[in-house]
Amino acid sequence: MRTRGTILLACVFGGLAFGYVLGNIGFGDYAELNAMFTFQDLRMFLSFAGAVVIVAALFAVLRIRGTKEKIHAGVVPGAILFGAGWAISGGCPSIPIVQVATGYVPALITLVGVVVGMRLSRWANSRFFHVDTGSCGL
Amino acid sequence: MSDYWPWWAGAIGLAVVTVAYAVATDRSLGVSSAWDRVSHWRRERDTERMDDEFADTDALAAALAAATAEAFGPGPQAPPAYDAFGPYPAGPPRPQHAYAASAPAAPPVVTKRPAPLVTQAVLLISIFIGGVIAAVSSGRFEIRYDMGPGFEELVTGDPLTMVGLLFGGGVLVGFGTRLAGGCSSGHGLNGCGRMRPVSLVATAVFFGTAVVVSFLLWKVI
Repeated sequence: MRTRGTILLACVFGGLAFGYVLGNIGFGDYAELNAMFTFQDLRMFLSFAGAVVIVAALFAVLRIRGTKEKIHAGVVPGAILFGAGWAISGGCPSIPIVQVATGYVPALITLVGVVVGMRLSRWANSRFFHVDTGSCGL
Repeated sequence: MSDYWPWWAGAIGLAVVTVAYAVATDRSLGVSSAWDRVSHWRRERDTERMDDEFADTDALAAALAAATAEAFGPGPQAPPAYDAFGPYPAGPPRPQHAYAASAPAAPPVVTKRPAPLVTQAVLLISIFIGGVIAAVSSGRFEIRYDMGPGFEELVTGDPLTMVGLLFGGGVLVGFGTRLAGGCSSGHGLNGCGRMRPVSLVATAVFFGTAVVVSFLLWKVI
């Protein structure tokens, strides 16, 4: 178990670094994002894919492994909705924060949408879907 | 713009943040889960309080059990009364200390609690401050009421349509990430880095969908 203080410090410095890195890669820039998804410019795609490769290598060395949970019924439909929303609004949940931080005021609306969508999702899941979605935080 | 970092610098930066956070906290950096929990603040706080209470109750129960064992012996004894009436009639011999023998066999269930709610709010605020530092130090910071020339060219220049699309897109992102159980940081970086099958599938699907929709926005609409 990690102490509260350790986790708090990790969130402060991890968050600062994460925001700084995302901003400097250009994930908050809609033109760059569309160029990545349409493969006109591979720079951001390579940043993301390269990061996954480095993370996988380091996790293998450090013996940090994930759990092998089942692919539940929500994964594919959820990922489709998320992918469409990302391409339209330019925001995966951390990007609109960086956009607002860069001065894009309308990204606040994206953030409101994200919060509304998450509240809808938890409500709809407990009411209709009953999918054990787990969490990427674990 | 060419003042963004080259791809390798971005890859190293993202990877260092992801791994450092995982090592320091023993958890995954998941922004959508942080958003989800912060946006359900009241309920999450209640859950957290209840967890604290249960943790205390467990400790109390363990202490009581230890004190009981000290005073009365390690477990329920088989009643010695049968001897007085001669051998017990037919049937298999009953094991003595049945409860005591079976109880410790079950391993303690360890469930990792999610990161404290406050730290997840701090994470989101820190991402914002980190973004401001990046924007100001690179000279990109500029208050503006549109989403930039890229959005205007590819999606819409009309402010009302923009508001609707940003909100609708945000709802899709929020709904979809929670249904899928993660976003580009949780599934993409952490899950794929850990080779979790569910994350590999999710990442492939959300990236693929984003590619299709982006092509539609670029070429068709």
